[in-house]
Amino acid sequence: MLNEERVILMTKMQTYEEREGKKNVYIGNYFRGDYITIQILKSVVSASLAFFVVFMLYIFYDFEVFMQNIYEMDLFAFAKDVLMAYGATVIAYGFISYMVYSYRYSKAKKSLKAYYSNLKKLNELYEEEQ
Amino acid sequence: MSSLLELRERLKVIYGRNDVYIIPVVKFLLTFLALNMINGHMGYMSRLDDLPLVLIVSLLGSFLPNGCILLFAAVFSLLHLYELSMEVALVGLCLYLVICFLYLRFAPKDAIAVLLTPMLCSLGMPYIMPITIGLLATPASAISVGCGMAIYYFLHNVVENAQAIGAMEAEETVAKLQLVLDVLLHNRPMMVMIVAAAVTITVVYLIRRLSVDYAWTIAIVTGSIVNLVVLLIGDLKYDTNMSMSSALLGTLLAVLVAKVVEFFRFCVDYNRTENVQFEDDEYYYYVKAVPKMSVAAQSRTVKKINSQKRSSGNRQGRSRRERNVQENRLGEKLARRRSVTINGMEDSEDFFPEELTDENAGYEDGFEQGGYEEEYAGDGYAEGGYEGEEYEDEGYEEEFGKDSSSDGYDAQ
Repeated sequence: MLNEERVILMTKMQTYEEREGKKNVYIGNYFRGDYITIQILKSVVSASLAFFVVFMLYIFYDFEVFMQNIYEMDLFAFAKDVLMAYGATVIAYGFISYMVYSYRYSKAKKSLKAYYSNLKKLNELYEEEQ
Repeated sequence: MSSLLELRERLKVIYGRNDVYIIPVVKFLLTFLALNMINGHMGYMSRLDDLPLVLIVSLLGSFLPNGCILLFAAVFSLLHLYELSMEVALVGLCLYLVICFLYLRFAPKDAIAVLLTPMLCSLGMPYIMPITIGLLATPASAISVGCGMAIYYFLHNVVENAQAIGAMEAEETVAKLQLVLDVLLHNRPMMVMIVAAAVTITVVYLIRRLSVDYAWTIAIVTGSIVNLVVLLIGDLKYDTNMSMSSALLGTLLAVLVAKVVEFFRFCVDYNRTENVQFEDDEYYYYVKAVPKMSVAAQSRTVKKINSQKRSSGNRQGRSRRERNVQENRLGEKLARRRSVTINGMEDSEDFFPEELTDENAGYEDGFEQGGYEEEYAGDGYAEGGYEGEEYEDEGYEEEFGKDSSSDGYDAQ
């Protein structure tokens, strides 16, 4: 026999599972610290790759001048500048990632809480029926 | 207005029932249009300007995720650039990689905004995206619109300088790179457009979230004015040589499109706004509930009761009518059955004749084809009705204001 309330609840839950639920369940499998750390590490890798690409373009843009001056310039000072720029990029991007993923984690947790309470309700409905 | 609302309801029903087909068709058309625009504007590699190839790729785009459409468009544009010059393709690849690493990691779902922005820019409608995105998304999407604009201006300027690039010798690698990078980095109109788009998106978003009547309309009008003002200031300060008349016309067009979006996304009746206040142990709630405008879509039921005998030539038509009448009776019986269930009377399959079980009465079909899907879609676990500042249910747009400063005690 069809229980209308149960079917409605199941439909809502299924819709949720197929949409944002999938992502939220994935996030919910992690502890907060683990999730944010993993995402920041991914962001650091992305920022490093992006910095490398931009740096290569910068070198190629003034390649002839760069090659002419390479023996005259202070390579340590140049490397220091590059590393400073790299550090600033990575730190800024890592900080943005921290903010974004902290927010996403707390949002996913709240959303999952509502989902699990509905799951509990569904279980109660089954028990009532039996 | 009521006929428009009815049309909207009908469109929603049609979309709800056929979204399995509509979404792939729209994605196919989008991919097809994007690739054709790339081929039409660039077209350096003639092998890519081939209808079967474009159709096959569009077909792939119809069922793959949205990000793949962007990927196909990027690959097509890079191949065209490669045919023009390897150095230009290298700069293009670097631009796409930086966008991919720095932004699409956060918002892969915004890929469609990154794709649509250059498409609309090349159609001469660049102002549609900032206002529409401000209405539908968050200020974070300003970055995706900015990326889309950067891609458009890069490709546009490469096409404009194609003759100069083609005339350079193959050995002039660095000179080509410098030319292309100069085009990309010292492009003042691009900078002004990106800043105008970002400011417009933020302004539209902030205003449409306000708890004032006609917030969306105010947001659209203010956003378009802000867009024009920023463009004007940019033009005066950086001498971008923008045509203000075309900017004005483009903004008017954007306002029209935004009004259409508003009609489908946020059509409420402010005359019936309800302001209520209540409290629980922890909060005072100041709730403003604005009812949505909606009319029930007309469902035509043809009921013919005719006991007259027909000639044999009309037998086919008669049998169809008989079937209609039979279905109507079945529907009525089913409705009676449901009302009986609701009233708490006997709710057993045996109580009803066999033909009224859910399967053969079409209940299952109706359920799966969108009745509930439509009603509960986006109902909002993630919206988090309670903790969010704004949420909506089927009938109301509600905005909550919370005041937790009173420790739960009433003044009384």
